[in-house]
Amino acid sequence: MTYEEKLGRFNEHIALGGKVETQDWMPDDYRRGVLKFIEMHANSEIMGALPERECLPFAPSLQRKMSLAAKIQDEVGHAQLLYRVAEDLGKSREAMFVDLVQGRSKFHNVFHYPVHQWGDVAIIGWLIDGAALVTQAALLDSSYAPYTRVLKRICTEEQLHLRHGEDITLELASGTDAQREMFQEALNRWWLAIIHFFGPKSNVEKDLLLRWKVKTRTNEDLRQEFLDRYVPKIFELGFHFPTPTPHSSEDGHWLIKDEDIDWEPLNSIKKNEGPETERRLSNRRAIYEDHRWVREALSEPAVHAA
Amino acid sequence: MSEALASLLTALADDELILGHRHSEWTGFAPHIEEDVAFSSIAQDEIGHAAALYSLLAQRSGGDADGLALGRDAAAYRHAVLCERPNRDWAYTLARHWVYDTADAIRLEALHDTADEDLRALVTKMSREERYHLIHADAWIERVAAGPVEGRMKLEDGLKEAFEEALGLFEPIEHEEKAVHEGYLPLPSSELARRFRELAANKLDELGVQTEIYSRSDEAAEFVASSSGDLIASGDEHAESQPERARGLGGRSGHHSDEFQDLWDVMTSTYRNNPGATW
Amino acid sequence: MDVYEVFRRGGHKEPFEHCGSVIAPDSEMGLLMAKECFLRRREGEHLWLVRRTDIHSFKDESLLEIAADKSYRFAHAYRDVVKKRDKARERARELGETG
Repeated sequence: MTYEEKLGRFNEHIALGGKVETQDWMPDDYRRGVLKFIEMHANSEIMGALPERECLPFAPSLQRKMSLAAKIQDEVGHAQLLYRVAEDLGKSREAMFVDLVQGRSKFHNVFHYPVHQWGDVAIIGWLIDGAALVTQAALLDSSYAPYTRVLKRICTEEQLHLRHGEDITLELASGTDAQREMFQEALNRWWLAIIHFFGPKSNVEKDLLLRWKVKTRTNEDLRQEFLDRYVPKIFELGFHFPTPTPHSSEDGHWLIKDEDIDWEPLNSIKKNEGPETERRLSNRRAIYEDHRWVREALSEPAVHAA
Repeated sequence: MSEALASLLTALADDELILGHRHSEWTGFAPHIEEDVAFSSIAQDEIGHAAALYSLLAQRSGGDADGLALGRDAAAYRHAVLCERPNRDWAYTLARHWVYDTADAIRLEALHDTADEDLRALVTKMSREERYHLIHADAWIERVAAGPVEGRMKLEDGLKEAFEEALGLFEPIEHEEKAVHEGYLPLPSSELARRFRELAANKLDELGVQTEIYSRSDEAAEFVASSSGDLIASGDEHAESQPERARGLGGRSGHHSDEFQDLWDVMTSTYRNNPGATW
Repeated sequence: MDVYEVFRRGGHKEPFEHCGSVIAPDSEMGLLMAKECFLRRREGEHLWLVRRTDIHSFKDESLLEIAADKSYRFAHAYRDVVKKRDKARERARELGETG
């Protein structure tokens, strides 16, 4: 079979809703595209642990301390699942990790920002995880089957994180004025980043991942789902939005006008120049470099008889 | 409630909370991703044990677990100084994890016979998780000790540091005599310390780790209470004139390091700044 | 001859599940045997064979138990969310901040 014939069959298989397993034949572009996509997802999970990790030391109760630790632990667990799936596509986890700590690979924009106070945990746990769940649930029917299998578990755990985040939010919302202000202040800082999280409008023609059904829905479609789901809940709690402010449409949607979105901050973040990027990456890099001996101790056979 | 029992519960709970807090700082940062997940569970276990112990204390003496954990002045904490030290690196973290869980196993074994029924039940529960912690710590220590030279040296450094302060875990608690007399602490701290030294020495011999590591703690092994209630090492000729504390001691009487002050500032900040709030 | 444990998977979405074991001289013959022993009615689309001695387990599986309270890892820890929502909305109304 020629390459063109194989490619034709592959495209047809995908068009009919067929799934791809690691050992199946796939075009190089598909393999590379899926690898890069899952690698970024994995990077985002492990980098996503960092902002929340910074909040863990000042958790306001023992229960919150444990549940936040457990939540961050889950995110690390997601990275573990995803790196393993990505690794099977031909790039070692070690190489992915080196690329990450050297700042050569990408992760989600929201994780480049600083955290200040407990309200950040509410925003991250409820809204950022909520945004992530909308995008991840849309991938459950992805054409790359090993990805969908780990996503199933990831989405189940994200559901729990959402409850955890909403629970924290509701305590703040029904608490003291200072507690309410914690949420509002954090919302003001994070809102634009959350909108950026979904990315600019998808180019359906050019997006190979959409064509091959690795992704199944466009950025704007996902953003809309998120807005419709969360904006009313936030209004109900008596909080308000900074720019870009959502407006209700006549047909019952919550809309954000494209011209209201300032894309400028996202452009520098795409180059790994977010406000916290260098500090977080350099911490990670330092730990990585200082602990080569751990990797050696784990990977090399015993040299001393114990 | 008996002040001796309160003293014992506070020391136990503070140890678990502060070490759990330090352990939890690795969550998202550990040098191996699967281990990151594993170690976070150990941190959660320790904080969970602290929560259970504080709850028991609160039931008896009023207040609530969070208030005890996060609402006290720094000087009111009674954990061993070892628990508050920053994580430094994975080698020190492992060494301290091993030292602590070895010590904790000895302590919990003794507490199976405590006179307090609720504490006894809690000890049984905690022991099941602590048994796993020790298996985890042993597996790592054995692996690194038998591995390439760099890791082995780092581990030896870490163990040396941790051992120098290990006996802070067996410093007599406040009202120790009463706690022993009333049966809450079935064995005096000095006896627990002796058992710990013996067990640790055997284990380190098995691993082929240099004996200097624990001979240091042997020297500082015996403590007597000075008239002021401070603990000083016996056999130190200058002890009377210069009550210099051996390293890692003082925690049981609320003498902590600047490192703990920093930890406390952050750990209690949200709670302290919002009196009366629920979370 | 060795014992091989047999795992099969129904579709792309399912995990592999253990379905039995075979005694075979090597993995190649083991696969051929397992195919007929466990998938002859097309009970799965994928088949794995693992030598039993390559499978590891805890000698003491009580280690797998959750000894102390870990309710925060489960959804039921957050089941009173409806009550909390009402309370938070009530607070927002008091403040007159909702439209």
